[in-house]
Amino acid sequence: MAKTILIIDDDAAIRQFLDMLLRDNGYETLQAGDGAQALAVLETRTPDLITLDIEMPEVTGPKLNRLLTKQGKGAIPIVVITGHTGLKYVIPKAVASLTKPFDRNELLSIVRETIGT
Amino acid sequence: MALNLLLVDDEEGIRRFLGMLLKDLGYAVRVASDGAGALEAIDSAQPDLVLTDIKMPRMDGIELLKRIKSRWPEIEVIMISGHGDLDLVIQCLQHQATDFVTKPVNEDILDAALRRVAEKIELRRKLSEYTQNLERLIKEKSDRVVELERQMAASQVVDALCQALQNLSDEMREEAGYNADMPCYIAVHNRLFEVVSTNRLYRERLGDKRGRCSWEAYADPARRGFDNPVCLTFKSGKARRSREMLLALTGEQLPAVVYTTPIGCKEDRVELVLEMAVDVSEISRLQEELWLTQQKYQDLFDETPCYIVVRDKDYLIKANNRLFTRDFGDGVGRNCYSAFRHRTEPCPECPVSRTFEDGEPHHKESVVSTRDGREMNILTWSTPIHNTEGEIVEVMELSTDITEIRKLQDHLTSLGLMLGSMSHGVKGMLTALEGGVYRLESGLAKNDMTRVGGATESIKVLVNRIRNLVLNVLYYAKSREPEREELDVAEFGRMVAGIVEPRAQREKIVFSAAIGEGLGRFAVDSGNLSAALVNIMENAIDACTADSGKDSHTVALRVDGDEREVRFEITDNGLGMDRETKEKAFTLFFSSKGLKGTGLGLFIASDVITKHGGAIRLESERGQGTSFSIRLPRNLSAAGAEAGTAN
Repeated sequence: MAKTILIIDDDAAIRQFLDMLLRDNGYETLQAGDGAQALAVLETRTPDLITLDIEMPEVTGPKLNRLLTKQGKGAIPIVVITGHTGLKYVIPKAVASLTKPFDRNELLSIVRETIGT
Repeated sequence: MALNLLLVDDEEGIRRFLGMLLKDLGYAVRVASDGAGALEAIDSAQPDLVLTDIKMPRMDGIELLKRIKSRWPEIEVIMISGHGDLDLVIQCLQHQATDFVTKPVNEDILDAALRRVAEKIELRRKLSEYTQNLERLIKEKSDRVVELERQMAASQVVDALCQALQNLSDEMREEAGYNADMPCYIAVHNRLFEVVSTNRLYRERLGDKRGRCSWEAYADPARRGFDNPVCLTFKSGKARRSREMLLALTGEQLPAVVYTTPIGCKEDRVELVLEMAVDVSEISRLQEELWLTQQKYQDLFDETPCYIVVRDKDYLIKANNRLFTRDFGDGVGRNCYSAFRHRTEPCPECPVSRTFEDGEPHHKESVVSTRDGREMNILTWSTPIHNTEGEIVEVMELSTDITEIRKLQDHLTSLGLMLGSMSHGVKGMLTALEGGVYRLESGLAKNDMTRVGGATESIKVLVNRIRNLVLNVLYYAKSREPEREELDVAEFGRMVAGIVEPRAQREKIVFSAAIGEGLGRFAVDSGNLSAALVNIMENAIDACTADSGKDSHTVALRVDGDEREVRFEITDNGLGMDRETKEKAFTLFFSSKGLKGTGLGLFIASDVITKHGGAIRLESERGQGTSFSIRLPRNLSAAGAEAGTAN
């Protein structure tokens, strides 16, 4: 069964891009435009990996991460994708931190290394 | 001169005989028959000499001698006795009898005795006269000495006073750098109207007048007599003050105020007069200097390009400079917080109050508004003003308008912020663009034309976003004045609506435009204003797409107006804003949209509207939606205004 990845980003264009890229490479995807949507998705689904934008309205990346841990879903690996440089350790347990614009092959190899194909 | 003689004897015969004999010898003789009668006679008219018998009933001669000598020691007493008893003689001499004559009385002996007494009396009278003369002389001489001493003492006092004044003026000259002596001429006059003593400046300027007439220093011929301040003070005994012209050594006339004071009054008589003349030419020179200095300070106070306010402890303005009056109105008598900041109570962290507390200067930066409503950033420095006791009575407040500096700083900060914000925004766009490129590539590879079409669409959107960003940046960088052209309001409204509508449709948002007819014309910079309105409407669309709380979303544009102004109203039922977002909405580089916002849009929209002389207002409720209302004056020329109403 294909692995599922939750894409959290407030920019629809970027969500679309990630969605297409990951699907093309054989992953299932879920999308959330902000923290609240993400929490709603996580109520019912448990993805294998999360790509997370740091700067979002309302529920920011780090806040979302704290909520995840509270829900007992802190074990899900997170790949941070951010426009900020130097924010790698905002979420210390993140498996990787990519800076926009990121290299899509780099993202794919990180995802493959973390959860396999 | 005949001596007065009293003869005392109890024997009638002897009194008669001796009386005749003594009269023949040239003495004035009275007689008494016993001691008591003798004392009575002496009491009524003092004789120079008493001749008394020793042997008498009741009071004998010795007793009478004692009593006479005790009461009238200067009266000479000669004793007469029938016995040549040596003891008796000694006893009489012990009681200061002058001589002793035995009975029967020998005429020659008596005469000789009387002569001796007369000589003695004469001698004593002369001595007494001398003594009295001497005493009188001594009194006269010592009176004179006292008088002289008093004059001398007064003179010394004046000399000392002059010296003290001189020292004072010397000191002042040294310490304060005064180039003139203390301009005071001091003289003391005695009641012979002579100058007794003068100070150095008097001697230098008016000449050495000591010993000369009191009026010689006066220039006015009318004063050179008894009608001058010195003589008048001697006459009245009262101090006087008058303006006089003094005659300088150089022949020049010096205007002076002359004070004369009586000193050393004795028995209502003025002994000396102290004359102090203050050179008014010096005073008027000093006054002018003082006036100039004050004027300089006043000019400095008024013309300094700062706001200067002097304030007391009760927040009352005691003085303010011209610039303050120009921009904040005359503050004197008003409270500083009301004049400066239109507050009803003192401002928090007032630097002036702190200076009152600790006497140190303090500073504070704040925003004030001028009387014509202009906001101004000012930097205020406070400095204490002390009185002569060193207490802080007032505090001076110096405020500089740093609005321009702040603007420049804001601009620089903005530039820094913009670089950060832009790079952030550009990164997001690049990522999305890359997504578009991936879609295009993969679509072409798979020959999936739907994917290629979607890619093209998303790339178009991104290009639009980038274009807007660049336009905004250009607008911010140039910040130009609007270039107005006259347009039909309704046409303009429809044009703006047309730009936004397709995007709204794509996002499944109901877009409505209510644009009335006959709205007339207005003069605006169509490029800038349409960009501003589109920006606000795109924000409305973004607020709707980001809101997952409602089933359907609407964005509505309404345009109406009257003779004077045109109103645009843009309402959405999207996310809405919390209070903080609402307050910061028009702030440069504030964005609630994360990566998608640069924080330039609404700032520029509000700037454009303000530059058109209009106003923008926003109402928003979290979860309910947002409404912007924009009012723009028509700004038409007279001809255009007619056309506007005609339409």
